[in-house]
Amino acid sequence: MPAKNHKQWLATPPLQSDEWVDSRIYSDPQIFEDELQNIFRRTWVPVCHESEMPKPYDFRTSTIAREPVIVCRGPDNEVRAFLNVCPHRGMLIERRPSGSFLEGQPSGNPKRITCMFHAWQFDLKGNCVYISREKEGYQDRLCKENVGLRRLRCEVKFGGFVWVNLDDNPISLEEWAGKPFSCLRKSLEAEPLEVFHYHKAVVQTNYKLWHDTNSEFYHDFMHYHNRVTGFNDAYFARKNESFEHGHVVVGTFEVNYEQYEGFESRAALSFPHLPPNQWYMIDLFPGMNFNLRGSALRCDVVTPLGPDKVMIEFRGIGLKSDTEEDRQTRINHHNSIWGPFGRNLHEDLLGVTGQGTTMLPGTEPRRILHGRHENQTIHDENGMRHYYSEWGKWMNRLPSNPDQPFVKPLAAAE
Amino acid sequence: MATNGVDIANLVRDTIYRATLLLDDQKWEQWLELCDDSFHYAIKSYSPEISRDMTYLQGSRKELATMVKLLPKHNTDHSPLTRHTSVYTVDVAEDAKSARAISSFVVYQNMLDGVNSHIDAGESRLFLVGRYIDVFKCDDSKALFVKREVRLENRRLDKGSHWPI
Repeated sequence: MPAKNHKQWLATPPLQSDEWVDSRIYSDPQIFEDELQNIFRRTWVPVCHESEMPKPYDFRTSTIAREPVIVCRGPDNEVRAFLNVCPHRGMLIERRPSGSFLEGQPSGNPKRITCMFHAWQFDLKGNCVYISREKEGYQDRLCKENVGLRRLRCEVKFGGFVWVNLDDNPISLEEWAGKPFSCLRKSLEAEPLEVFHYHKAVVQTNYKLWHDTNSEFYHDFMHYHNRVTGFNDAYFARKNESFEHGHVVVGTFEVNYEQYEGFESRAALSFPHLPPNQWYMIDLFPGMNFNLRGSALRCDVVTPLGPDKVMIEFRGIGLKSDTEEDRQTRINHHNSIWGPFGRNLHEDLLGVTGQGTTMLPGTEPRRILHGRHENQTIHDENGMRHYYSEWGKWMNRLPSNPDQPFVKPLAAAE
Repeated sequence: MATNGVDIANLVRDTIYRATLLLDDQKWEQWLELCDDSFHYAIKSYSPEISRDMTYLQGSRKELATMVKLLPKHNTDHSPLTRHTSVYTVDVAEDAKSARAISSFVVYQNMLDGVNSHIDAGESRLFLVGRYIDVFKCDDSKALFVKREVRLENRRLDKGSHWPI
């Protein structure tokens, strides 16, 4: 077929309307603002792993939909989450990425969450326990009981991840993600897990394009590693299974790691209850990914920063019971493919950065195709179609024409 | 001919700077020729987020040779890297058969094709900051890398890289 003129380029493709999306959903500033309000303020986000806060009084800080969040382990060993904002004058309470409240701070006492600005202090349940010169300033008009921290919904689940929801009345986490996690639950919950890897990428692209890359495996043509270790009948039979709430699980098969020169089988260090060299992937709406390649679990969490900018946090996780030698092997398995200097992650990030370059805010809207049908197997794009059907519901926008209200796609097109 | 600790230290500095140029020029095999057969390479960083020391990449000389041999088969960001290395300390062992050196480095990425080349190509961006912690096997005429630890300050690595640093 010849190259297209402008009219032909913009013509409706010969596909169903749920088999493409309008590129404005990846670039429009108002759509991005609506996503923060309608989706990220109402869904569960795994902000960290419990092993990042192993002891009472340990804490981690994070951000959801621009709101600063702090999670901490109380003296009762309970993990709780709060808005990391002082109720006094809106100061960010804790500025460090992690630490322990066992140590005193210049403005406050040990075992207290202290706002450095005016020395207001809170306990690990979020109660305000000290207001400097309280009576002198507020007399009896305002007291500590009036100014506790903003508590957030928080659960530790699915292998020790710490999940936070800004919505006070969300769907339960079990109902939200229990079914997609069922394929790995025995492996992730057999024994305590421990994070061994962390790095982040801030890239010029929309957060959904990263999730798309995690949801579709057609792009394995980009990965030399995946082609030589994967492309066989079992690979092409892998199923993409859709779950309620926009989640997708990519089924497993046995990867032949030895086919990539210098790489080794991961069979000896398989996660519990996992057959050798299996590879499962759980993609959770709206942008979290759990990727288990036999011996190492990877977790991606997106923090959208703008319509064309996203931070992706990458974690690697192994068994807490690992010997030093096993842990190092697990780290090698993880990072040789997924580390910042690994073979695949760099390629994935180049892919979505290239997409981001063509979909900057203000660029001409175009159609992004999600129309491959291959009996819901690995190169079928049903995972993305399922995701965007859910996205349309949460946003009340039609992904193929976001100016229009959402209409559920015909079942036949799914 | 090197006969004392000062000469050995000069050999070590020379090897570190030669390695910098060879890595910049992507002459991987010649870089590995500066390494002993027992060479071990690692890129590490400490994460205050997870309170752990991390190994981002590691391998023996043989594993690195395989890795660089396979580079042409991978899609990659071809933006050249320029390392600016300053050797801070060289400690030569009493028997003058080994030495340990600590160098500071920054790595600039000279944009070529990583994003939109029309706009970005030709721009240099700070990519990495860290130290080389090197161990050498020495004799009178040469110093060979036995170990290189690339100790990064970065944990935000954006697109990352396929290349040894």
